[in-house]
Amino acid sequence: MEIILANHSSYPRVGASREQQRLRRAYAQRERGEISPEAFTQVQESLVAEVIEEQASAGCALLTDGQIRWYDSISHLAARLAHVEINGLLRYFDTNFYFRQPVITAKVERRNSLIVEEFRYAKKISPRPIKPVLTGPYTLACGSIRQTPAYRNLDSLVMDFSAALAQEVGMLAGAGAEVIQVEEPAILRHPQDLPLLQQALEPLNAARGAARLALYTYFGDATPVYEELQELPVQILGFDFTYAPRLPQKIAALGAPVTLGLGLIDGRNTRMETPEDVFPVLEKILPHVPEDAVYLNPSCGLEYLPRDKAVAKLRLMRELKEKFLQRRKG
Amino acid sequence: MSRAVLQEVGLTLPLLPTTTVGSFPKPDYLLEARGKFARKEITRKDLDTLEKQATEFWIAQQEAIGLDVLVDGEQYRGDMVAYFADVMGGFEMGGLVRSYGNRYYHKPIIVGKVKRPGPITVDWWKFAQGLTKKPVKGMLTGPYTIMDWSFNDYYPDRKAACFALASEIRKEVEALVEAGAKIIQIDEPALSVRPEEIDFALEAMHVVTDDIPAYFITHICYGAFEFIYPKMLDLPVDNFDLEMSNSGLDLIGLFKKDPFTKDLSFGVLDVHSHAIETPAVVRERIEKALEVLQPETIWVDPDCGLKTRTVEEAQAKLRSMVAAVQGVRQTLGGR
Repeated sequence: MEIILANHSSYPRVGASREQQRLRRAYAQRERGEISPEAFTQVQESLVAEVIEEQASAGCALLTDGQIRWYDSISHLAARLAHVEINGLLRYFDTNFYFRQPVITAKVERRNSLIVEEFRYAKKISPRPIKPVLTGPYTLACGSIRQTPAYRNLDSLVMDFSAALAQEVGMLAGAGAEVIQVEEPAILRHPQDLPLLQQALEPLNAARGAARLALYTYFGDATPVYEELQELPVQILGFDFTYAPRLPQKIAALGAPVTLGLGLIDGRNTRMETPEDVFPVLEKILPHVPEDAVYLNPSCGLEYLPRDKAVAKLRLMRELKEKFLQRRKG
Repeated sequence: MSRAVLQEVGLTLPLLPTTTVGSFPKPDYLLEARGKFARKEITRKDLDTLEKQATEFWIAQQEAIGLDVLVDGEQYRGDMVAYFADVMGGFEMGGLVRSYGNRYYHKPIIVGKVKRPGPITVDWWKFAQGLTKKPVKGMLTGPYTIMDWSFNDYYPDRKAACFALASEIRKEVEALVEAGAKIIQIDEPALSVRPEEIDFALEAMHVVTDDIPAYFITHICYGAFEFIYPKMLDLPVDNFDLEMSNSGLDLIGLFKKDPFTKDLSFGVLDVHSHAIETPAVVRERIEKALEVLQPETIWVDPDCGLKTRTVEEAQAKLRSMVAAVQGVRQTLGGR
């Protein structure tokens, strides 16, 4: 069995040094009109290159672009669709991070690509495969304010987001993405909508070509809906184990028909996991999952940590994997 | 009704007491001085003098506007968690974490046993109370919020960190009461973010307030109250200070279903809007509250701390609020 080390999604965009704070300064300069759009883009690109290099050096095999260009995981995608305005701040689940809420004023339509150009750039400069990350149709719809008779209920908006994201999935696959991550934290808050999510993921699955879809949930306990999640049309399922103490037991009992992404490294806290935290869970789960591979990744995007701790967590994943494999051999 | 508690601690307040949530905007000279202090261009003593000057300003303003229960305005605090993490043992200041857009903050890390080094806010409370005959609230951040807004490298889990903090915060509460504070506000804005943790959050508040002779207020904001209501009514406090105007007043619907059993500091001013509410708008909001709550149980205040507004906006908003309350009091008195 191969344990593939993967980053989750976001990555801290500033660090302690002045150099590591150049994007923060560039944003401030942009607000004051002191930097050209080209120069601003250059700063963004240099930071994408830096965080890709940091992930690769830390031992990750599957990288992300760190979502460095994203304002947040909701408005970055929604704002690129027609008939969406961006409103005030709202807390992102139980974090201390705030996203801008999209306001839907008429039927949403995809005009241009959402993140394909970002993906192409990251792929071009990365020494290892890049995993593009999309916030899923259900979570996007839950985070939006519906201000149009076109969407009297949530379902129709979810399905229109699904149509837009399916086109994006097709383009990402065409651009060479091997794994495309779709994030649906909101479904854990509203498990009664799992049939809707299933319906909304079908078009994405139909559009994925040779790429594999990875559905990641986080900020909640997936244990009660583990079986239902297995039914979804995706090829990889990622879980946040920090909220789910009983999930390893459930996986051991029921097995896993699809490849799993094991979020065993807490992306929300600075404490470094020990072998005693992680190995018993791996021992319990690994005999019951598909034999070819499993992903080991943080429980959520690493942007909730300071930069030094984020890279330390990625290095820790490598150490834990090496120790675990040695112990197994011994 | 908690009027009895107020009487026990020796306070007589008018109907619909007016107050504020805690923070006021810092005047320009103080913002400038804080920058200079961070760059080591002025001494702690220099900064202290200006913080006292700003506190005197805000006490005088609150009296002039006609508020009933005052605050020190937190001119000496930055972030409501980092302020306590800075002075308490067991914390280390962590690196920068993004809160939204291009905004970042230093998130504290619990790296050892948390410890109150001695009185933290008591001298400021004494200073502020010495400037006025009106009651000044003691203002603390609650253990659940300090835990939730910090990283935890030391305690085995969130609950353990929360309880360790609760014991230390209790010592500060005792010291404030010892100094003469009769009303203590324990801010717990994070309380509603993880409904599954509400039980230990409630227990922790017991640790902080049980058997202490004071009138306790807790401020909770921007959360999904629907998930913790009516359970949150079990919190051992006398008064809930809740954001109402920015939430479209949908809590009133919850109260119609499960009656609210405590006093309520009813937020009537949107602290995130530059627009100054008119007394008529504030009055409408208070009248909404009167539909489901007894007038004796209602306090009136802004949604949250006013530190994000300008000095002038904060003053104008509070004037509208006091004018509206005076109008409602007349109506209630005449019925």
